[in-house]
Amino acid sequence: MRALTLVLILSLVALSPVAAAAQAPTADDAAALRREIEQLQKQLESVTDRLKRLEAQPPAPSPGAPPPTAQQPAPQPGISPLDIARPRQPFGLYQQRGAGQLLFDIGIAGDFVGNLTGRNIEKAGGGSFPGQENRFFPREIELSLFGQIDPYASAVVRIEAGEEQRASDVTVKLAEAYLTLLTLPFGTQLRMGQMRNRFGWSNEVHEHDLPWVDRPNVMRNFLGDEGLQEKGFEATFVPDLPFYVEALGGVFNGDNDTAFGRSSLENPLFTGRVRTFLELGTDHALQLGMSVASGQTSEDRPSTILGWEGRYKYRPDGWLHPLVTVTGEALYSIRQFNVGADTNGDGVLDTFERRNKNRWGWYLGGEIQPWRLVAGGVRYDWSQYPQNPGMEWAVEPYISFWPSEFLRFRLAYKHTERTTQTREAFNLNGGSARTVDELLFQASFILGAHPAHPF
Amino acid sequence: MRTALIVFAAALAVVGPLHAPAVAKDKIRVVTTIPDLKALTDEVGGDLVDVESLARGTQNAHELEIRPSLMLKLRRADLLIENGLELDSWAEVAVQGANNPKIIRGAPGRIDASRGIQVLDVPAARVDRSMGDVHPLGNPHYSLDPGQAPIITQNIVDGLARLAPDERAAFEKNRQAFLARLNEAMARWAQTLEPVKGAKVVVYHPQWIYVLNRFGLVQAATLEDRPGIPASPAHLTRIIRQMKEERIKVLIVEPWNDVKLATRVADEAGAKAVVLASMVGGVKGTDSYIAALDHNVNALAQALR
Repeated sequence: MRALTLVLILSLVALSPVAAAAQAPTADDAAALRREIEQLQKQLESVTDRLKRLEAQPPAPSPGAPPPTAQQPAPQPGISPLDIARPRQPFGLYQQRGAGQLLFDIGIAGDFVGNLTGRNIEKAGGGSFPGQENRFFPREIELSLFGQIDPYASAVVRIEAGEEQRASDVTVKLAEAYLTLLTLPFGTQLRMGQMRNRFGWSNEVHEHDLPWVDRPNVMRNFLGDEGLQEKGFEATFVPDLPFYVEALGGVFNGDNDTAFGRSSLENPLFTGRVRTFLELGTDHALQLGMSVASGQTSEDRPSTILGWEGRYKYRPDGWLHPLVTVTGEALYSIRQFNVGADTNGDGVLDTFERRNKNRWGWYLGGEIQPWRLVAGGVRYDWSQYPQNPGMEWAVEPYISFWPSEFLRFRLAYKHTERTTQTREAFNLNGGSARTVDELLFQASFILGAHPAHPF
Repeated sequence: MRTALIVFAAALAVVGPLHAPAVAKDKIRVVTTIPDLKALTDEVGGDLVDVESLARGTQNAHELEIRPSLMLKLRRADLLIENGLELDSWAEVAVQGANNPKIIRGAPGRIDASRGIQVLDVPAARVDRSMGDVHPLGNPHYSLDPGQAPIITQNIVDGLARLAPDERAAFEKNRQAFLARLNEAMARWAQTLEPVKGAKVVVYHPQWIYVLNRFGLVQAATLEDRPGIPASPAHLTRIIRQMKEERIKVLIVEPWNDVKLATRVADEAGAKAVVLASMVGGVKGTDSYIAALDHNVNALAQALR
């Protein structure tokens, strides 16, 4: 410490005469300084004049200097399976973005629905939202997080809250969480996690994005109120052909207890879908597809559902919305059941017989949107029940109103008729719940990011 | 089941040939999100590229319907050139459905044409949807401003040269030739608009600010209440009053917007609604970059006189 102080004092002593000399201005120095200031003033005037001239006329385009290329991704060699397997550091990406910027998008969609119907329908739970008749409730408040994980994969996480039972607390659950590997060879992608299956057109559409207040009857009867949502793997293949075809194959647990319910990869649920697309000129477009889901029920019996879908849109050139949209799907269920019989009359089922039940149903919906803010349409449902005998049909006219792209209100009337052999509850009270009239209403909003809707 | 599969396969076999486009195998297959970028890529790439655009000139580039036909174009692309600044973020959905690793975000076959652009209308404060469909990164409608063409084409040359390094000189030569023609046209346009310099105009959607600034014209108001939000009657009344008071002669409207409403407002205010090509191909006879600007400059000059 003492040595350091000594060095400091010596330095000050040595430098002080130099500093003193510098601080003593002479007449020559002052003149030089004045000349320098005058020169700088002239330069400033010249630059100002030039700037004024440039501002006075529109600048002509010129090749100019190339823009900075530092941020441009460097050429990469082809991606090999080894690249995909190599561990990476996704969080390192944060360093390359500014503070306060997220690495993914966040969006919230809110969907509130309500319905008014008869007391007898409420008692029997026979409405479009069973157990929620004559109520207005949050059906789906969805928090979506989506973005790239790294250059090779993307991810989506959706957390849903909603009132599932009458006047109960809101339930929060994981609706979807999956990652997609984007750089696999031969035009394939692999999605893994929990997802809404791409089975038919409407199954993968979330409640707030549906073009109707409720899911079509056939989809609810065959796949449950929430549709087919499974945990597993789904691969898509888009071959390099002159026309569009997407082939999809999946392996899942089979947790859907309406249609399957085996819940094991030992006897998994297999899914498949093929879809194509026809563009008839610039205004007309048609998408066609066929799906299959084949697994086992909780009784270890085979269950297969086949699906066919079609969607047509007429969108006059330059329109911001389609004028006419027609959507239809048909499902055919091939399912085996254990049917027990009490042969000796002791009240205990002692023989079981395997019985096949083949059921089907379909819907067809048409919508006209003459103005950007308003659309009206009607949907017709016809469906058998996969387990119970009987069938139901329904007709649902509706009108939608969008004050803006992010806010929508919808009003619908639905008339349903069921045959006498259906669920016992519908036969209560002299079968009064077999004919249902409902007034449905819906309010939906989007906050923040929301990905564009596919066709 | 078997019958259904056979019917489906047969349908595909019949339909397939209807779609088959002619694609030259040795060319770089480029897809752009908007036709302005296609036009510029055509100029730069010349015979070495085969370019398609996802959007047409008559469409609203903010919200394109994601048809599988877009995915088909992207499935076969070597390069995707996007406008960026969140104008064409819909393209991401199409890219994900195309299963083409060459053009996913971060891949060498993905170009953001906005790199290096001095973006206007960048919000200085917090933005939310109460302000309408605002672009948080700034106004993304820079592509039809001739002053930005050197930067955009440089980005295109860089992207093409990444895929075909040996052709960089050819791309650069094409670019220089195009910019020379654009320079000539620029002098012509500046001369045409010189007499109306400083004139105020009303625009339907705020997508003309780059071009207006370039030629010394002033955007006085927008017909949309806020970006993407249809105008309320009160707002229309205000606009008509303002146009009368400030003697504004022109209301610029995009081909995809409500031309009838714009015409009604302009008539009411004693002005003229002018449909400009918001993108290349937006109106008849605007199938190239210079042709689109020729149309816009001439239409504006005529209406403002």
